[in-house]
Amino acid sequence: MASDQTLQAHQGHENESVWMGAKEPFKASYGKLMMWYFLLSDAFTFAGFLIAYGTLRFSSPTWPVPDFVFSSLPGGIHHKPLIFVTFMTFVLIVSSVTMVRAVQEGHRYNKKGVVFWMLMTIFGGLCFLGCQAWEWTTLIGGEKMSILKNPFGTHVESGVYLEGDGHDIKPGDSFHAHQTYLIHQHNGEWMPLKYKTEAGEIKQQQFGPKAFGALFFFITGFHGFHVLSGVVFLLIIMINVASGVYVQRRNHYEMVEKIGLYWHFVDLVWVFVFLVFYLL
Amino acid sequence: MAHLNYEEGKKVVFRGFVLLGIVTLLEVMVALVGKGYIIHGFHLPRFIMYSLMIGMSLYKAYFIIFEFMHMRYEVPGLVRSVLMPTMLLIWAIIAFFYEGNTWYHWRKNVNDRPILELSGGVSNSNNTHHESGSHDGKEMQQETPANLPVDSNAVEKHH
Amino acid sequence: MSSNHSPLVEKDKLIQELGYDDHFHEHHHGDKYQTNFLTTYIFSQDHKMIARQFLMTGIFWAVVGAAMSIIFRLQLGYPDADLSWLKPVLGKWITVNDAGIGRLEPEFYYALVTMHGTIIVFFVLTAGLSGTFSNLLIPLQIGARDMASPFLNMLSYWFFFLSSVVMFYSLFLNTGPFSGGWTAYPPLSALPQASIGSGAGMTLWTVSLVLFVVSVLLGGMNYITTILNLRTKGMSMWRMPLTVWAFLVTAILGLLSFPVLASGFFLMLFDRSLGTSFYLSDIFINGQALDRIGGSPILYQHIFWFLGHPEVYIIILPAMGIVSEVLSVHARKPIFGYRAMVYSILAIAFLSFIVWAHHMFMSGVNPFISNFFVVFTLIIAVPSAVKVFNWISTLYGGNIRLNTPMLFCIGFVSMFISGGLTGIFLGNSAIDIQQHDTYFVVAHFHIVMGVAAFFGMFAGVYNWFPKMFGRFMNETLGKIHFWITMIGAYAVFGPMHYLGMAGVPRRYYRFDNFDAFKDFTDMNKFITIAAIITFFAQLLFVVNFFWSMYKGRKMTEQNPYGSNSLEWTTPIETGHGNWPEKIPTVQRWAYDYGKDNKEFIQQHVPLAEGEEHSSH
Repeated sequence: MASDQTLQAHQGHENESVWMGAKEPFKASYGKLMMWYFLLSDAFTFAGFLIAYGTLRFSSPTWPVPDFVFSSLPGGIHHKPLIFVTFMTFVLIVSSVTMVRAVQEGHRYNKKGVVFWMLMTIFGGLCFLGCQAWEWTTLIGGEKMSILKNPFGTHVESGVYLEGDGHDIKPGDSFHAHQTYLIHQHNGEWMPLKYKTEAGEIKQQQFGPKAFGALFFFITGFHGFHVLSGVVFLLIIMINVASGVYVQRRNHYEMVEKIGLYWHFVDLVWVFVFLVFYLL
Repeated sequence: MAHLNYEEGKKVVFRGFVLLGIVTLLEVMVALVGKGYIIHGFHLPRFIMYSLMIGMSLYKAYFIIFEFMHMRYEVPGLVRSVLMPTMLLIWAIIAFFYEGNTWYHWRKNVNDRPILELSGGVSNSNNTHHESGSHDGKEMQQETPANLPVDSNAVEKHH
Repeated sequence: MSSNHSPLVEKDKLIQELGYDDHFHEHHHGDKYQTNFLTTYIFSQDHKMIARQFLMTGIFWAVVGAAMSIIFRLQLGYPDADLSWLKPVLGKWITVNDAGIGRLEPEFYYALVTMHGTIIVFFVLTAGLSGTFSNLLIPLQIGARDMASPFLNMLSYWFFFLSSVVMFYSLFLNTGPFSGGWTAYPPLSALPQASIGSGAGMTLWTVSLVLFVVSVLLGGMNYITTILNLRTKGMSMWRMPLTVWAFLVTAILGLLSFPVLASGFFLMLFDRSLGTSFYLSDIFINGQALDRIGGSPILYQHIFWFLGHPEVYIIILPAMGIVSEVLSVHARKPIFGYRAMVYSILAIAFLSFIVWAHHMFMSGVNPFISNFFVVFTLIIAVPSAVKVFNWISTLYGGNIRLNTPMLFCIGFVSMFISGGLTGIFLGNSAIDIQQHDTYFVVAHFHIVMGVAAFFGMFAGVYNWFPKMFGRFMNETLGKIHFWITMIGAYAVFGPMHYLGMAGVPRRYYRFDNFDAFKDFTDMNKFITIAAIITFFAQLLFVVNFFWSMYKGRKMTEQNPYGSNSLEWTTPIETGHGNWPEKIPTVQRWAYDYGKDNKEFIQQHVPLAEGEEHSSH
């Protein structure tokens, strides 16, 4: 418990006088504290989503392998697993780094530096959003995954395909259990392929768990929304910095620090979104 | 707020960038190698792969919070007041996932799948599939296709 | 600044000498905040005004919510009675048959039950209780000029107001408000076609509660940072009145649990409007299977109760804080076991996050994991019992003033004990098999968190009314209000235990057509009559409240109760910034009653020569 800590802190770990009032016991202004506690509550929002994700995934007999699902690159390149999303992660890390630089320049009261690095951060944020837009477009437009239908199924046993899908699979191609496949559409019709299992049964590809697509778009979308609002706030604050609003304030560039916290939090959430959707 | 001077601060930022980049690459490598994409036929045991990934992600989270968000330079009380409440999630994660796993096992025993199958969008029926884990209930129809095929590895996944 | 300060009395000199000058009045805060009608009464950023706004809105909702309960109690007690006289209010929800007998539509009965729960739980006992008293008392009792961010504080109220408007609007929909129970379990809530109220009614319900979550978060962040950063000189955490401790922990609970509710609602909105199936699987409507598979309705229940259980303590903790403070003041005794009280609040808060599934024993939670939830749940009895014994010990040997706030405090303790005991029954998953979804549960939670929290609220209103409006509420009316409510509440909910034990299920429209429940017709009538009488006693309170605002006995001294805490060192007409000049510094804890043969020693009075701090 948070207050448990204030308590312990009060009981002697800290300098007693810090807790005697008229002081900031955490040596942080109320604005920064509020930002921290807001981020804490927002972390619980994301935790709610990710725990829901995990629960549904545990309840589902199969789950598509992300290395197969997220393997496209711009320019029509396929089967390069996770390259694109690794790039996206880098973009976000870089934008986090530039944000730290902006805050550091703020501590030196270097207005130009702050504006420059914030601009870089905004650029990074937009770049990330662009990547995400491309990724969504590929999944929705190209692979026809939607919140209602997940064409990424997973084989439960090994076997041999009896027909081809005009893309990668040719009749006679073999596959092994746990391998993820994609059901293609031809002329707007789903074309699940027939295959023969090792036991000799003839079967047809099945759709993957519906929750996969819905959760993916929902959670990455919610994260993307955070990035977007972060970009908007960064823009506003950058304009304020540029116009010298914060120079006259008593706490100077604290606003930059606060939006910095938010921005790093967005990066932090991505670490976990990346983990659960792309790695595990 | 920073207890480092400007030059040191810049160095930390650069180091952080390199570190996070390397850890991310490592994570991706573990994912790809572990699932047999790089060396054909080589799989890491799931437990090791997942622990590595989760461990590295937690390290990244730690680094972002403590260096980028300057938590390292805040007073311990603030650090604890922000981080301790997240411990509440541990029991939530255990309980929720345990529940998810329960639903998985219960769903294997649902025998009225064919009715669902009727409206299941694309019909991909007409192939019998023996549900290994289910009770062979009398009311279970012979041409039952499992809408959600039972994955033998899923059991392994959870234990 | 307004100029109508009372002349300095002796105690103010103490503030002048020892007070702490924050140069507040050298800047023109006051002018900015209270210049015209709009900024003084509507978009006020003054915490005392925001507290009154919360209280007024809370009272409005309490009357609406209670009136709803009377209507469905009429239905339950007198299922064959003619309700056509309600037609002017309820319109098409009363159907009059050929014989001229008006009947309540079953759909609307469910809507009434649902709205009664939602309104009382969220709007009255969360916003109306914690919102009112956190706003009023935190700055006054810790010696702060206002909240850390008055602007966000104002937003917090207006988000609550907006949420109220949306919910109120939903009452007048053609299809009626949401009718699937205040917990909004899917599929009734996730499928717009599931029931009549599941369409527009549920959409507005969700929107309203998402706005409400925003309000709680804005408020909570403000309360926490205010208590951490804005305590006056000398006000260490261990010198804070227990009210402030309770509000602090309440705010923490809200901050951690409401976001999870919000995430649950977002998933719900997707299920409703975009056809996803996070909460749906194996659903049949009119014999038709839906293409909604792979989700789980129990997932929603888990997410909901992860909020829902802390929410119970969000409701009861402020009441506990108020009771601890008022009990001590009017018993003229220091609160017994101050630190134990604080630790038990913290323990309750911690435990509240790990027990949520005890609401779901019967809805398909894995029995193995239920064991843990049973154990954690029963552990809550320990800190709760600590609190109860401390309240009783505080009363023991006290020089008790039996005024209205004190009566309500004692009523609170009584209610908390009676309701808490039945909680031990329900916390056991095995006993819960029998009691689940019966009137036993209804009786349990109404007594322990409904009536008890209301008693805490009444105690707070009667006690701090002079601080809010400069006048006292009428004592005679107050005592009549108390006795009718106290007896009435037991008369309403006592028999419900018996009904529940006998297996009478909750949320049924009528019982007389079940052979098993026919025998309880008279008991249901009795409950209904008791509920109606209790309801009118509450109207007595409302009349008293508004009458006293204008005609009540005027407050003539700063500290009418001889109370120690800092709110009574402010002028009678407390202006913006609370203290006209310096802020008092705090020299001692809040409960020096009867020390060294003095009846009370206020917190800003320095230690006398040779006096030592009370050990606590």
